Amino acid sequence: MKIVAVTACPTGIAHTYMAAEQLEKTARKLGHAIKVETQGAMGIENKLTQADIDGAAAAILAVDIAIEEPERFDRIRKVQVPVQAALKSPEAIFAQL
Amino acid sequence: MPLELAFACPLPNGMHARPASALEAAARGFAAEVQLINQRTGSVADARSVMSLVAADIRPNDPCVLRVNGADERQAFARMKAFVEETLPHCDPPLPQQEPQEWLPLPRLLRNSGARMLQGTSVVRGIGRGRVVRAGGFRLPDGLALSGGVAAEERRRLASGLELLQSDYERRLAALGQGVERELVAAHQSLARDGWFCGLMTEAIAARGKTAAGAIAEAEAHFSSMLLARENPLLRERVLDIQDVCRELLARIYPGAKAERELPLPEAAVVVAETLTPGQFLALDRSRLKGLVLAEAGRTSHTVVLARSFGVPMLVGVAGIAGISESEPVTVDAELGAVVWGMTPGALRYYELQARRERRRSEVLQRHAAVPARTSDGGRLEVGANLVSSEEAGLAFASGADGVGLFRTEMLFLGRSAAPGEEEQFDAYRRVLESAGGKPVIIRLLDIGGDKPLPYLQLPKEENPFLGYRGIRIYRGFEPVIRTQLRTLLRASAHGRLRLLLPMVSCLEEARWVRGVMDAEWTAMNGRGGSCPIALGAMIEVPSAAFQLDELSRELDFFSIGSNDLLQYFMAADRADARLAGLYSPLQPAFLRLLKQIVDRLRQLGKWVGLCGEMGGQARHLPLLIGLGLDEISVAPSLIGELKRELSRLSAARCRECLENALRCGSAAEVERLLAAKDLRQAPPLVAPELVEVDCDAANKEEAIQIAVDLLHAQGRAVEPRLVEEAVWAREQVYSTGFGAGFAVPHCKSDAVAEGSLVVLRLKRGVDWGALDGQPVRVVVLLAMRESEGASGHMKVFASLARQVMHEEFRARIERGGDAADIAAFLGERLPPGT
Repeated sequence: MKIVAVTACPTGIAHTYMAAEQLEKTARKLGHAIKVETQGAMGIENKLTQADIDGAAAAILAVDIAIEEPERFDRIRKVQVPVQAALKSPEAIFAQL
Repeated sequence: MPLELAFACPLPNGMHARPASALEAAARGFAAEVQLINQRTGSVADARSVMSLVAADIRPNDPCVLRVNGADERQAFARMKAFVEETLPHCDPPLPQQEPQEWLPLPRLLRNSGARMLQGTSVVRGIGRGRVVRAGGFRLPDGLALSGGVAAEERRRLASGLELLQSDYERRLAALGQGVERELVAAHQSLARDGWFCGLMTEAIAARGKTAAGAIAEAEAHFSSMLLARENPLLRERVLDIQDVCRELLARIYPGAKAERELPLPEAAVVVAETLTPGQFLALDRSRLKGLVLAEAGRTSHTVVLARSFGVPMLVGVAGIAGISESEPVTVDAELGAVVWGMTPGALRYYELQARRERRRSEVLQRHAAVPARTSDGGRLEVGANLVSSEEAGLAFASGADGVGLFRTEMLFLGRSAAPGEEEQFDAYRRVLESAGGKPVIIRLLDIGGDKPLPYLQLPKEENPFLGYRGIRIYRGFEPVIRTQLRTLLRASAHGRLRLLLPMVSCLEEARWVRGVMDAEWTAMNGRGGSCPIALGAMIEVPSAAFQLDELSRELDFFSIGSNDLLQYFMAADRADARLAGLYSPLQPAFLRLLKQIVDRLRQLGKWVGLCGEMGGQARHLPLLIGLGLDEISVAPSLIGELKRELSRLSAARCRECLENALRCGSAAEVERLLAAKDLRQAPPLVAPELVEVDCDAANKEEAIQIAVDLLHAQGRAVEPRLVEEAVWAREQVYSTGFGAGFAVPHCKSDAVAEGSLVVLRLKRGVDWGALDGQPVRVVVLLAMRESEGASGHMKVFASLARQVMHEEFRARIERGGDAADIAAFLGERLPPGT
């Protein structure tokens, strides 16, 4: 499955990137293709284009704060979880997709 | 038929001593009984007794009734009604000391330890421990019987003592203008004639067989405990007034048994007082004095200067000192700005960690002390030492002093009954010169007068001592003293590189006069004519000196900016007045422009110029001082290492830009913001072995975070470690950074961080971190980032670390790796280079 994701935590120093790594690692393990956008202290990185999103089957939003440009995900099936959930039980999130 | 007036207490601090004595003064002189009833508590106070009014515990807005009853009640009521409505609301102008102060939060470990503590402003850093000795407090002189006298005789002694005291107060009041001191004396006077106070003493003699001394001690104990039980801090502080009055009364009745002038101190003592004069400080046994805690709020009094030079940790502006008991063992923590007592295991553990951090910090500073101070681009600024006694010289040079920028000779002259002889002076000067080992030593001639009076010079007390007869101005009047000092200094000059400095120069003739005396003494000494070759310089502390640099330069060889006085005279802001602290700021753009003008002109004239005031002692001011192009800053010996370290991180070119920008600022606050800018400093690497601890003994999460922040502090990587700690905890409050697998990544984004840093602690025992998987944490990786740094530089490294720590292989390498150097090297390899 092709998946897109966004991670964003309160300070944007650590958990944004930890969660991104965890999602990428888990996707690899489960045999999914994933592109994760981070919204942290360095701003938006690895930005998801509308084409990325339109071409994906589902989106994971692992966020503790309001994200930039949320309207991009209006038309896609998505699961929104706290950042902690992405760290603690990533496979459970993929199971919901 | 009694007349009554109902009103709500209009006083912002309730009924305390000052408004009560005004009310008492208004009620005096009528035959009618005047009572004030507090309807909240039902207590009835006699308006002619300050103590009774105070005891009624009247708080702001309490419903009150004034009741007047008796022969002249109509007149009395009219007078009292007018007083209550028109005068009373204005009886309590806010005192600067009582303004609520914003303190930095204390470290969590200490704050939650259960020990007792009061916060204050730290003016001399350090930590001292000892038993409390109250200065200015009440102490019965030895050898006075407390009971067993003849009642009639004791009553007579008490009455005549009270009478004497009253007339003394009258005399003092007549000599005082309006102001706080007058109000204080008036409050003491009304206490001394208070019916309740006097009645209690008379009763102690009549009913309990006390002597006058016993009666005074009893009254002191009674009213002190009453006041200490009050909620209003203003009332608790008034214990000191009761004690003052009792002490003065005792001195009138038993003139021979005056409470000793010199305070006996136990082995290790912490002196707690409302205020302490420089003379009182010097009379203390400094070998036993471990700390000073004052209620008064001034930051730059000469007592502070003295305490700093003797390294006595000191707090000022401490509210509630009346609550600390005599001989209580206390810790004066002038690092945190708190006095702590009633130690608990938690508090002791905090101080154990603190001591470990300080050891590390001083090791680091020692390394900087040993090398000459240079900016990162090779700029030079010497860091000299300010000394007040020759004993400090050794410490100063061990701390890396490039010279002595200011040796204040007045301390040789203070606290004694006659001027020091030539040999005694010679000894002190020679010792300083010799310990300098060839480095330059600037010795300032006697700077006395005004606030630093000397009994044997009999200088008159002045209305405004800072604008008075002081410094070089008194030299002609006391020529023999100055001549002796100059002669002694010229003799001592053979022992080192001596340069002489003149205090308070405001016009050319003053400098010329000293030059004349100096040349004459030189000629007399070596039997030849000619001028004395020893360098002579002037303090620039009177603004007029700044406007005749060309003329002064013809007579003088060098200059030293005394920033404390120059600032106070230039801004017309009393440096002891806490309300003017905003004006009395060396960051005022106009003051910076003055400094710039002085240094630029002296550069053109080819003269050496240093700066020796408090401004130089603040690391955050360094960019401005480097930017100015000074030759030297001179500071307290204990600050030298830290300043040299900070200097080595700054670029002189950037500092010059920073000063140029500061000169264009509109306010001190804008300058402050410029100084906070990151790009002034060269950042050290993010990861370093000094920031890794592989055998960390933290027993819980609080200790682990404390230890991690301590490592930053010891390496000079935190501007304000307490705010770093607070920021880390604020983040933990959102949700625990223990993400599982025994790892936690606490982090913060704050400008209290000086340099972006990564700290690694490998704990001996796992601690509860409230982790996501509920497991104990064994490795703590702290990410500390400067907020203003934003997306640049270090963030890339932090992001990379955050990603890698999700991998077992990476975690295992940290957990099972070798020593601190090994872990730091591993992280250095695996993380992208920071910028």
